[in-house]
Amino acid sequence: MSKEIRSTKYLNPYVGGVLLGLVLLSANFIAGRGLGASGAVKSVVATSIRAVHKEAAGTMPFMAEYAESHSGNPMKSWLVFEMLGVLVGGFISGALAGRLKLKVEHSPKITSRRRLIFALAGGVLFGFGSQLGRGCTSGSALSGMAVLSLGGFITMMAIFGTAFALAFFFRKNWI
Amino acid sequence: MGPLAPNELISENTNFLFAFLIGIAFGFVLESSGFSSSRKLAGIFYGYDAVVLKVFFTGAITCMLGLLFMGLFGWIDLDMIYINPTYLTSAIVGGVVMGAGFIMGGFCPGTSFCGAAIGKIDAMVFIGGLFLGVYGFAFTYGWWEKLYLAKYLGEPKISQSLGLSDGFFGLILILIALAMFMVAEWAEKKFAREAY
Amino acid sequence: MKPLKLLGMFIIPMGLIIAAVPQNKTNPYKLTAEELLAEANTRNQFVTADVVADMIIKKDPALRLIDVRSQEEFEKFSLPGAINIPAANLLSAEYTDILNQDIKMNVLYSNGTLASNEAWMITRQLGYENNYVLEGGLNYWFDAILNPQKPASTNPDEEFAKYDFRKSAGQALGGGGLAAQPAPDNAAPSARPAVKPAAKKKKAAGGC
Repeated sequence: MSKEIRSTKYLNPYVGGVLLGLVLLSANFIAGRGLGASGAVKSVVATSIRAVHKEAAGTMPFMAEYAESHSGNPMKSWLVFEMLGVLVGGFISGALAGRLKLKVEHSPKITSRRRLIFALAGGVLFGFGSQLGRGCTSGSALSGMAVLSLGGFITMMAIFGTAFALAFFFRKNWI
Repeated sequence: MGPLAPNELISENTNFLFAFLIGIAFGFVLESSGFSSSRKLAGIFYGYDAVVLKVFFTGAITCMLGLLFMGLFGWIDLDMIYINPTYLTSAIVGGVVMGAGFIMGGFCPGTSFCGAAIGKIDAMVFIGGLFLGVYGFAFTYGWWEKLYLAKYLGEPKISQSLGLSDGFFGLILILIALAMFMVAEWAEKKFAREAY
Repeated sequence: MKPLKLLGMFIIPMGLIIAAVPQNKTNPYKLTAEELLAEANTRNQFVTADVVADMIIKKDPALRLIDVRSQEEFEKFSLPGAINIPAANLLSAEYTDILNQDIKMNVLYSNGTLASNEAWMITRQLGYENNYVLEGGLNYWFDAILNPQKPASTNPDEEFAKYDFRKSAGQALGGGGLAAQPAPDNAAPSARPAVKPAAKKKKAAGGC
């Protein structure tokens, strides 16, 4: 088992970084904006709220603010198309490297169930935080840094700073 | 002269097509670098795997250099690039909440999609959590609205607030990043874990 | 060699270059020499004294008169409501927002048309819109508006209408007691040029 994982060949991280930078650069050149991820989740949420209860969508201030800046179908947003591409790209890469496998990845010291509980909790926190912070690591931190945005930089420091600070308390989950 | 879409050199639908293609490239690079594995992602916080730091900063610096050089050659109009707005309070609070989410969940939204794409169930659960979190925010928005809109500073650049030119700040960032990479590589050797 | 060393070898020089070279501020709206010549030859930048007088009387909010002569000349006499941007300081930063905008119609004037036309060419070359030149300048203004010549009896009606308009305009503008009447319809000055909205630089919408 360990042999199989060790043989997983990932790209050299610096090479990966340069490639990532080029992808980000092309996004800026073509669309005038950087990458992102949490915005796509927001689009889906907005669409579903609108679909289920049209009036509620109108009265909810957060959704109303979103509707103002996104006239038309909220699903027709740059980030939604991008995230669909991410799924495809990730899949292709995984397929080529033989990493396609349905499993729960966790430290051998904890159970799958524990891992999943924390994954869910982490997701809830991250989803919430990304709306508050107007972006996630891809949108705010990565793309923000590349265009030297102060807000992006601050959010990035907050994310990584907090994670480092809390790492001690969750160490059992990882190491 | 770029950027293409804001200058209306390509149509909106072409822009969306490119979004899809760029997304494919994005997902491919992320997955190939190992960002589909939550254990690799969390590694930076315990020293055993600095892939997040290396890829992240190399990527940001590559793009930043690319934009500055393209601006220099007149290939792109830098005034039209989207710069994230700065809402001081929510940037910090949101970041703290996300940091907690990161160390607990081991993913961020972009990487969770990669992980889900190759079958990682914990990534899928994380995505489920994302949706819950966003719904939660939307429905409780009234409680956070003041915080969310507080301290709007416009769209300042870091270089502007420090009173440096973009290029000079870029150089400083490069030097800091390289120093961090050297520390990271030392940490990776010192805290190395068995195969995961 | 170690990847980190290789990376460093590349990005440090690039960083040094980008730090050293001053930022390039390209203005994408500059006109080429050919474009400017073509525009100047159409003479569309001129507005007649009648049009301007009419706008002043009608208190058209779009009008903004800009005197490009020196400050002393401006203080000796200027058209009602005019501001002074001496030609020598035309490119000064404080006037950029006045000259480069899309809300008002700037009419540049000087004693004749030489100085004002020159100022127009300079602003046009920078891509500024909505700047015009008062045809004939102040010299013609005095003759035509403030001291209009009564047309000979054999002239067509519209000449008379124009004369009446100019007479009342002149008196109103020269401070005379007569209440000015706006130009009657059959002598209506050619419609003033519409203010062209500037091609706003559209920033890309972004988001998380």
